[in-house]
Amino acid sequence: MRFFSPWHVLFLLAVMLISAASPNLAGAQNASVDFERDIAPVIQTHCIRCHHPGNPKGDVSLATADDLTENGYLIAGDPDSSHLIELILADDDGEAEMPKDGKALSIEQTALIRRWIDQGAKWPDAVIVREKPKADASWWALQPLAADTDRTIDDYVSAQLAEHGLELSPRADRRTLIRRVTYDLTGLPPTPEQVQAFVDDPDPQAYEKLVDQLLQSPRYGERWGRHWLDVVRFGESNGFERNVIINDLWPFRDYVIRSINADKPFDQFIREHIAGDVIAPDNPDVAVGSAFLVAGPYDDVGNQDPVQAAQIRANTLDEIIRATSEAFLGLTVGCARCHDHKFDPITQEDYYGLYASFAGIRHGSVPLATPQEKHERSQSLEPLEKQKRDIEKQLGALDKQILQRANSQREAFQQGWTRPPVDRTGTEETFDPVNAKFVRLVCLSQDGNPNAANGFRIDEMEVWSDGPDPRNVALARNGGKATGPARQIEDFPDAYGPQLAIDGKAGARFIATGNHLTIELEQPTIIRRVIFSSARGESNPDHSKFRFVAEYRIEVSEDGETWKQIASGDDRQPIDQQAFLEHRLRRLATSEEDRQARASLQKELNQIKQEIAKVPPLPSAWIGRRVPADAKGPFHVFLGGSPQKKGPVVVPSSLSALDRAANSAHQPMAGEDLVSTGSSRLAEGPKESPQKPDAAYRLEPGTEEAERRLALANWLVHPNNPLTPRVLANRLWHYHFGTGIVDTPSDFGFMGGRPTHPELLDLLAIRLQENGWHLKKLHRQILLSATYRQSSGYRPDAAKIDADARLLWRFPPRRLSAEEIRDTILQISGKLDLTPGGPGFRLYHFMQDNVCTYVPLDEHGPETYRRAVYHQNARASVVDLMTDFDQPDCAFSTPRRAETTTPLQALTMLNHQFTLDMADALAKRLESDSGNQLDGQIERAYALCYARSPTQTERQACRELARSHGLSALCRVLLNSSELIYLH
Amino acid sequence: MSAAVRPLCDLTRRSFLGDVTTALGGVGLLHLLSGSALGESSTWQPGQGQTHHPAKAKRVLQIFCPGAASHMDLWEHKPALEKYHGQPLPGEEDMVSFQGKNGNLMKSPWAFERSGQTGKPISSMLPNMARHVDDIAFLHGMHSKTNTHGPGCVFMNTGHATEGFPSAGAWISYALGSENQNLPTYVAISDLRGEPPNGKANWSNGFLPARHQGLMMSDQKPIRNLARPESVTPAEELAARDLLQQLNQRFASSHPANSDLQARLAAYELAARMQMSAPEVADLSRESDVVHELYATRDPNHLKAAYGRNCLLARRLLERGVRYVNLYCASRASGVDGLLNWDAHKTLKADYERHCPIFDQPTAALLTDLKRTGLLDDTLVLWTTEFGRMPTHQAGTAGRDHNPDGFTCWMMGAGVRGGVSHGATDEFGRRAEQHPTTVWDFYATVLHLLGYDHERLTWYHNGLDRRLTDVHGNVIKEVLG
Repeated sequence: MRFFSPWHVLFLLAVMLISAASPNLAGAQNASVDFERDIAPVIQTHCIRCHHPGNPKGDVSLATADDLTENGYLIAGDPDSSHLIELILADDDGEAEMPKDGKALSIEQTALIRRWIDQGAKWPDAVIVREKPKADASWWALQPLAADTDRTIDDYVSAQLAEHGLELSPRADRRTLIRRVTYDLTGLPPTPEQVQAFVDDPDPQAYEKLVDQLLQSPRYGERWGRHWLDVVRFGESNGFERNVIINDLWPFRDYVIRSINADKPFDQFIREHIAGDVIAPDNPDVAVGSAFLVAGPYDDVGNQDPVQAAQIRANTLDEIIRATSEAFLGLTVGCARCHDHKFDPITQEDYYGLYASFAGIRHGSVPLATPQEKHERSQSLEPLEKQKRDIEKQLGALDKQILQRANSQREAFQQGWTRPPVDRTGTEETFDPVNAKFVRLVCLSQDGNPNAANGFRIDEMEVWSDGPDPRNVALARNGGKATGPARQIEDFPDAYGPQLAIDGKAGARFIATGNHLTIELEQPTIIRRVIFSSARGESNPDHSKFRFVAEYRIEVSEDGETWKQIASGDDRQPIDQQAFLEHRLRRLATSEEDRQARASLQKELNQIKQEIAKVPPLPSAWIGRRVPADAKGPFHVFLGGSPQKKGPVVVPSSLSALDRAANSAHQPMAGEDLVSTGSSRLAEGPKESPQKPDAAYRLEPGTEEAERRLALANWLVHPNNPLTPRVLANRLWHYHFGTGIVDTPSDFGFMGGRPTHPELLDLLAIRLQENGWHLKKLHRQILLSATYRQSSGYRPDAAKIDADARLLWRFPPRRLSAEEIRDTILQISGKLDLTPGGPGFRLYHFMQDNVCTYVPLDEHGPETYRRAVYHQNARASVVDLMTDFDQPDCAFSTPRRAETTTPLQALTMLNHQFTLDMADALAKRLESDSGNQLDGQIERAYALCYARSPTQTERQACRELARSHGLSALCRVLLNSSELIYLH
Repeated sequence: MSAAVRPLCDLTRRSFLGDVTTALGGVGLLHLLSGSALGESSTWQPGQGQTHHPAKAKRVLQIFCPGAASHMDLWEHKPALEKYHGQPLPGEEDMVSFQGKNGNLMKSPWAFERSGQTGKPISSMLPNMARHVDDIAFLHGMHSKTNTHGPGCVFMNTGHATEGFPSAGAWISYALGSENQNLPTYVAISDLRGEPPNGKANWSNGFLPARHQGLMMSDQKPIRNLARPESVTPAEELAARDLLQQLNQRFASSHPANSDLQARLAAYELAARMQMSAPEVADLSRESDVVHELYATRDPNHLKAAYGRNCLLARRLLERGVRYVNLYCASRASGVDGLLNWDAHKTLKADYERHCPIFDQPTAALLTDLKRTGLLDDTLVLWTTEFGRMPTHQAGTAGRDHNPDGFTCWMMGAGVRGGVSHGATDEFGRRAEQHPTTVWDFYATVLHLLGYDHERLTWYHNGLDRRLTDVHGNVIKEVLG
């Protein structure tokens, strides 16, 4: 394997080259041209944006010499015959064919290229010209953490405010503060009693006590767990065409909430996301963390086309790469899939290094149990399984014995089989005329599986009357009615219904889930002929789409209760397959004694099966499978992102852009040497950096799948990696203040925002590391700051300077999130069910017919009165209140919620039954809390909803509505009020 | 302040799905950094009816036939299939596609008939549509990058094969804003048979603000939560809204800097106006018997009647200024492929003899009606499907497998040159050969007709200025009138 020297990775050199590119221009005609010094910068500046490998627009690549020489663009030593020169030479008007979208090269530049070709067009093998990203390794986010740790949060904020002639606002009053901090930490409003106690608390440390209490509340993990679930694009259906619901991903949600409540060190939490199953394979509580890898959408439609299948697989891994790099590193590594990142210093090799790291991951459920649980289950199953095998053996022996007997009479049987076998395109029975009100086709065995009597399909069944003018009396338009258990689609009834068998058209078919198709005639009729089919008029009737009856009876009835057989397929030849022949023979040779023996064995077998089913299955969770065969390399760069165009070989490795930061950052804490734990084999580093960074890694190609993820996990949280703590600290700030110090929390690259308070961000990141990655300590530091405790009051003079309060001259007000709104409504109505954990509830009706459909519910029963974080969030499902108030579809990670205001919110909040139910519940609660005095009820309502008393005017207005239209009407209004869902 | 402080695109104009302030301004960062805003004059504001250049079209009707409607059985005549019926497809004798192996070439089960002044051959299964060919610009050289329905539909609607991106209608809603303040800007009408593959992702706002999502309604399913609950009397409703308005007004006044609070007041007013307007739009009884006859709304085939009613609803929405109507004819991949949509894997003849009659008359009626009323002058009509089908039959069947390499879409109406057939697949219909076009070219053209440069209509999301046309797309000049 050869490691290329990616040209732009030599940043210092590259910068020097660009700026020093001209000296040679004026040089002597015969001065020797150096490719790296003279030519590469020209190509990099003017050509490579279009002419890079895998870009179909670019046609030819100028990344290495190969393409140019192969296609005759370049003939070493012969500039006049080199097509390249022709393309770049300007005509008299100063226009050249290339560069297409820019100015022509200067005369000096073309002369230089000429001379280079003339001198043999030497292009060192190891040099690849690449587009220079807008940001390089000197990008702010990649630098080691640096802050004056003697200064506080308030020092930093105040200093910057002062620079703009601003200052912090005065402290918010206690009523405002308790509402703010309670929502912030728990996602719920404080109760009126909590508000009063806090307001009345004489202790000057009352706020500190409150913060500590709230951080201890189990509600805290539910609130902050929900934030994290946004970041990791947690969704409980697979998306894409089938969008199948996933019923065992909730253990991951519970793991997140549990870990955050327990204040698990976040570096450990992140390591578990990437490699929990490696770190603790026998501890489900840890292994479940790795469900992160497969918590995103993926395409599960089987594709037989190998090119498309490879592309889909690449898309699936791409999703994991993006989710990982955005969540932990705040880098949009996904942009380097098709070409080097245009903005950030991320190469395609970086991207495919991660591809190699995740290559062994497949989506799906696996049993997730302790060794003890596994042992216990296999202990209980063993004897039952043995009994089951024994009975099956006896049944097999009996069947064999019957068959042997049947075979001895075979010739006699066969003589009776005088008619041809059933025919899917039309099977006909004629019989002596018989009076019938009902006619039915009874299936004894289906032609795809002799042991099944259902699953057959009928496109048409005709019943012909006797007499000179026979009519098909089965037809619906002749009064026939068809019944029979059929496959169902909920949202499109009758898609496979029995009516299709009597509609006079052959295209669509009845699909039986029972063993019969029954036709009721308009009136009792003398009939004498029946025809039925599953593939009428089809040229290829053999397809499984046309499953048909193999063995059958035709029966008639006059009352629909007593039936008489009038025809059967028993005198037909069986279908020409051994299994059908045996099935027929066995049926004919089975004696009454056999039948009883068989029935008794079957009964025993069923009992055993039931007992087996009773043994509780091992818990399973959607953490994905690990497939070593998929992880077997070698892995390549995919040129232009196409798995069909393999570029250079890559190995699992850390991101090159962080090498420098990681190299020069402060040293690992005592006792930590994360990268070299385990048996990770570090390959020799790239040639150009002989000094091996202690955090960076580059693994041997044969490294085990598990070790690759472990190496990545360790590198992500290595003390020398500045990005992870910076990104995490910013997320905390973002959720506390509504906007992060960087306002694009998952993009710290060139396209993202710049930090408003860079040193403060580093201070927070350093504190996070110092705190042992415990979030609660950092929360506390932020929440106790004057910056957080200040009023949100509006000051026009300050707003003139900083309208959005990004500098934090006031606490920025915000609207509640979808989850907070629903939880709040439930809590104040007295209906909130705080049962934590377990399978989620659904605000939609789930339907599946190959693909899945999610229909929002018109009524929400008490089973949905849990906190919204326990909703089973399916992708591409729209669920009224939740969607209206910007709960994101989890197709992507959502680092920042939108906050929109739409009339749909008004329609839902006014008219959905949920609001009406909650308004009634709140009214009942007010009556029970405050008796039958209306003023008391209104007082109580205001305390519950807004943590304050009504004004005189408000009280009067509320009184009027409640008197004319009832307390529920008033409650419906309060639930719709702005004040309920805004926080100051 | 640093450049990171992004201007909010705070919309002042009121529109149905939103007067809306948003905390997420995603106007393309690069444009802002480079000092040039989207429009030449640097005053371009999204959602204000402003365009980059003068527009031909004011609104769009997009008819979508999900399931991959076969180009060679509907729109693009392939005489070679008749000639070589039963013979192997040269060069691809062992082709394996989505569902597996393929057999030999299979001719279309139906004849094609020359239609209109242009003599364009159209499947005899579409006799009513055939009457419109002189107004249609066919794109026979379309090709997709996926052969799977879900990603294919989403690709055809959003320019990206993965979920989470805004659909064309959402982009138009964002760019253009509303024409009628009492109705949604973007409506998705799904079929009686269910939602298309990938469901609601097809009319998603993606990462654009929620107000740009396609609002679901059809003749069969009114807008959710639109009606006042039965248990609330009109008098109560009036009094309740009055009090609510007072409370919200007081709260907004006490927080004058928070424009969201004003927006909320407006949102409740708009909702009320919507409650009055929407039922009127959906009330088809106001149409004459002649119109009902034309659209086949009372056809004994209840699927045809249902689609006919949705076609009529589409016209009424467009007429009242809805910017983008997504009209679906057929739905998803059911347990039996080809049953509920155009996915004729095994029984092409039977399947299309069910689907074509549902599609043909009502769609043609809608086009006739748009022409009659003059709406077609500034309405762009698009017909789309996610990809095409194979010229061969699927091994052991009389149906066709998925073919992402060649298919047909078409345009008609505002700014479109009629009677054009641009691009073509090879003689068998296997691959786009002449003037191949992509979804991105398609939408570059759509945006062009609506007055936008597709490269300048962007929204920042997770590290990139995203576009409807991704990083591709050329306007197809040959179809412009």
